[in-house]
Amino acid sequence: MAGLADRFEQFVKKLPETKIMKFVAGRILVPIWASRTPVKPQPGGPHYSVQSGDNVQRMMNLIMPLKDKSAVGRAEAALAIAQNKDEIYAGLDNVGTVHFARFVIVGENICMFSVYDGDFTNYIRDFIATIGCVFDAVVKLVEGGDAVIPSETHVEKFIDWVHAHDLYQVSDQATDLFRDIEAVNGETAITRDLRLLPRDLILQLHVNPNVSLGSGYRAYPGYSVAEVRKQFGIGW
Amino acid sequence: MVSAMVDVADVQGNILQGYRHPRVRHLILSVGDAAEARAWLGATVSGAGGVPQVTSQAPWDEKPSTCFNIGLTFEGLRALGTASQSLASFPTEFVEGMTARALKLGDIGDSAPERWPAPFDKPRDIHVIVSVHAKEVADLDRVQRQALQNARTFRLLGVREGFNFHGDYVHFGYHDNISQPRFAEIHDPEDYPDPQEMAPLGTVLLGYPNNFEGLLWHVPDPVELGHNGTFNAFRILAQDVVGFENYLTEAAKYLLTQAGVDELLPPGAETKIGAGLSREAALREIVAAQMCGRWRNGVPLAVSPDTPDPATPIPEKQLNNFDYAANSSCPYSSHIRRTNPRDAQIVQRVANNSRRLVRRGIPYGPPYDPAKPDGVEAPERGLLGNFIGASLGAQFEAMCTDWVNVGLQDPRVTGSNDPLIGANAPETGWFDVVLKSGRTFRLRSLPRFVRSRGGAYTFLPSVSAIRYLGSLGK
Amino acid sequence: MDDTPSQNCGAQSPSAKNTASPDPSPSQLVDAIIEDFPDHRPGTRPIHTIGIGVGGYFEASDIARNYCRAEHFGGQRVDVSVRFSNGSGSPVQHDGWNDVRGMATRFHLKNEAATDLIAMTLNGFFVRTTREFIDFTTAARQQPVKKETPWQKIWDMLQLKQPLRDPYPGQKESGDAGTLEYANAHPFAQLAVFQAGSIGAPVSYVRAAYHAVHTFIVTGEDGVRRPVRFAWKPVAGVCNTDPDAPPEDDYLQGELRERLARWPARFLLMMTIGESGDALDDPTVPWPAKRVRVVMGTLILDTVPADQQAAAEHISFNPWRLVDGIEPSNDPILLARRDAYEDSRKRRGGTACPFNRSGT
Repeated sequence: MAGLADRFEQFVKKLPETKIMKFVAGRILVPIWASRTPVKPQPGGPHYSVQSGDNVQRMMNLIMPLKDKSAVGRAEAALAIAQNKDEIYAGLDNVGTVHFARFVIVGENICMFSVYDGDFTNYIRDFIATIGCVFDAVVKLVEGGDAVIPSETHVEKFIDWVHAHDLYQVSDQATDLFRDIEAVNGETAITRDLRLLPRDLILQLHVNPNVSLGSGYRAYPGYSVAEVRKQFGIGW
Repeated sequence: MVSAMVDVADVQGNILQGYRHPRVRHLILSVGDAAEARAWLGATVSGAGGVPQVTSQAPWDEKPSTCFNIGLTFEGLRALGTASQSLASFPTEFVEGMTARALKLGDIGDSAPERWPAPFDKPRDIHVIVSVHAKEVADLDRVQRQALQNARTFRLLGVREGFNFHGDYVHFGYHDNISQPRFAEIHDPEDYPDPQEMAPLGTVLLGYPNNFEGLLWHVPDPVELGHNGTFNAFRILAQDVVGFENYLTEAAKYLLTQAGVDELLPPGAETKIGAGLSREAALREIVAAQMCGRWRNGVPLAVSPDTPDPATPIPEKQLNNFDYAANSSCPYSSHIRRTNPRDAQIVQRVANNSRRLVRRGIPYGPPYDPAKPDGVEAPERGLLGNFIGASLGAQFEAMCTDWVNVGLQDPRVTGSNDPLIGANAPETGWFDVVLKSGRTFRLRSLPRFVRSRGGAYTFLPSVSAIRYLGSLGK
Repeated sequence: MDDTPSQNCGAQSPSAKNTASPDPSPSQLVDAIIEDFPDHRPGTRPIHTIGIGVGGYFEASDIARNYCRAEHFGGQRVDVSVRFSNGSGSPVQHDGWNDVRGMATRFHLKNEAATDLIAMTLNGFFVRTTREFIDFTTAARQQPVKKETPWQKIWDMLQLKQPLRDPYPGQKESGDAGTLEYANAHPFAQLAVFQAGSIGAPVSYVRAAYHAVHTFIVTGEDGVRRPVRFAWKPVAGVCNTDPDAPPEDDYLQGELRERLARWPARFLLMMTIGESGDALDDPTVPWPAKRVRVVMGTLILDTVPADQQAAAEHISFNPWRLVDGIEPSNDPILLARRDAYEDSRKRRGGTACPFNRSGT
């Protein structure tokens, strides 16, 4: 009998690694728990804050699904960026608050990753003012983009749309997920059971497939673009 | 783009031009009966049935003894029965309301909405803010009675009353209300010498071009509701005058210990600051002037760096006639330069002039008398502020988040907050007093002098829009 | 904050707090810890009992003095004594078990003065006040471990719930169930409990990052005071043992001896500057990674003293052993540690601080 119990225990121990259990967890358990304890997707981008350290070097991770997911569609997106190099670089110089920015094609998405200073809406609004036409050229290739272009005359909608595509930044401190859930779902939605923290993360990923893991590393946190440029004597 | 002519009789008053009545009473209302509230709105257009008539911006021959205006919160528009499609066309910041934007506005700690007294502790109940302007309290009372004659229409949640006890002076002792956007359609540039461009109407009215080339703010639907309307950040801002004056003293004492203080105040120059002032008292005024960007009498540092009383006096009208040159004597961290950098070099070059606001403020609470210090229970005093612009997000919030606090516009101030109105805290607050040579003295332990004690984002509808709202459901 | 330069070794008494019922005394705090480890051996440390002392030196970075005028940040080499330890208060060594590790550093200054920096592998503490500490240690008392049955594990899986870790071979008791229960009722404790629950075991004492957790106020050469937190970052990198492999009970001290016999181990001392609005006085809340971070210097460890009785057992650290340029914050836990450490030192006959003016 002991042998049987041992074998059962070993079986259970290895169960999570088995194909069948992975299938059950992903295809059955997650949808069941998602319907039993509904979770709203967390808003994208960094939290609002008045602390200056939180207001510099903020990360934007835009993932925008292309309408045409073929190589042709992706090439179109690549071309839209390539043809607007001057616009983008001049715009970035004059917006003045962008540390790094790049466009990346990942699978069927055109992505824009950037590190910027200050308020998100100010950043996007200033950007629309300088290179709205480039935004339009890119966003028109993206699912749902037609409703928010031209950006110059859809400023508020466009900013909201970009915000909705900015990835949720899972907190650097694991248990802050409870706080985020509470903020979006209300207090009653949370269990505050540490052992259910993994499930909370799973259910968030279920409704929010792309997320940023943490707020990201910074080698010299706390300084704005202009502070860095001024300190190096290269003008701001 | 050709600027469309504006029908000023369709725009509510106090937006394009201030009334300059010495008294204001804000009635904070909740809709009691939606149908009656709509009928009431409709009646205010003409003043029918004894309801006060809404004051428009139409020019008057004789200044009316009272003016009457209406602001609506998002919850108010909803309570009035505005169609959901129409509600959805309002900008996010207005939909969410001021309390949801607390972190953007620096409303934290003692200023957090959770600490606001009634009626601002229940922001969703606030639907309508009626503002009555008059010279006499009796007039305010009369208009209030007329406005609230039917007890079912509205519930009166609270009242806030302001009084210009000393012309345009505010509790901190500064001459205020000097710089305002002026509009080519309204103002004669001859009357307002100011190197700043005349502001486009879209600065403050929906449906017109604004300071961003090519950008148009969305006009809420339908057009008769949105056009000629604007948004207002109504703020109740308590001012810690005692704390402010004490800080000036501390700062002056500190500066006196610093080598190089003579560059800031050459020995003997005290009399230029004020007759009979001690060295410490003169330094206090210098610090006060550097924090604001103007001497307390309104004379700009950019024009008169050494004295509030230049040999050739500066007439009232000339107080705005300056720019920020690269070597300007106005500290880059001063209040007026932070909130409106004019043509100064700023980090966000795109944003120069784009965040300008119309300000209509009036003090509340008893004036501060240094001869009679407050008792233990210091009375609350401050400013009832209205910060008006066609886009709360692009103007009021944009200014608060990156300029008033954080200080992103200039690397020399980044990491600090506006010395007068910023969300400062003694642990980390600082302000740089700037010398002519460019050297700075860093004043630390800067506390917060202005606390938020309430407020709401309101939509200031046009007269046509008030008529439209009055006709809903008919 | 008082202005008296602190060389204080627990000589002053904590400022009286204005509360109805008295806060627990230092010796009550020590008793509370001891009760969590029934096999505690009198004369040893009540917690972090098993450890090893090593020696080396610290070299401040060229800008450290701009932020902190304390002697050891002046730039010259400063001798150090470090004690690495396992967190447990049990006299039985289980290096390979899941446990918080400690790193206490003594900087030897001129004229036989000294200052200490006490750090651990958790980046936040469990509680905010001494009363919470009493409740927490009560909750953390050892209980017989209950191994989850396979059926319970299946039920966990179905709930997408984290299964309980199986007890280690030979492990009969644990405080884990109690701390978990406490954390679920007290959100402030959750982060530390969650992290402690899976913190694992480092492959080496010098392959873990150590956090000083509490806020200190440092004063720069220009007189500017800043709230800061310190952390040691191992140059060799952070590396844990395989949590699925059977744990070894005794390897950390031997590993360190062998390692230092071959080459020195180094740590980077990072200092993060807090902002108003950060948890300046709350050790349960780590600061965001977005705060200005200053490289304060490098620690080089190269010797294992032969006299481990002196280097690891008798040496007594105290987070309040500070020098001009560093002051404690108002963190209540930091405040309590001053006298609790002193109480504990006296109980086990640890070496007194030579500058303890009260003569104890």
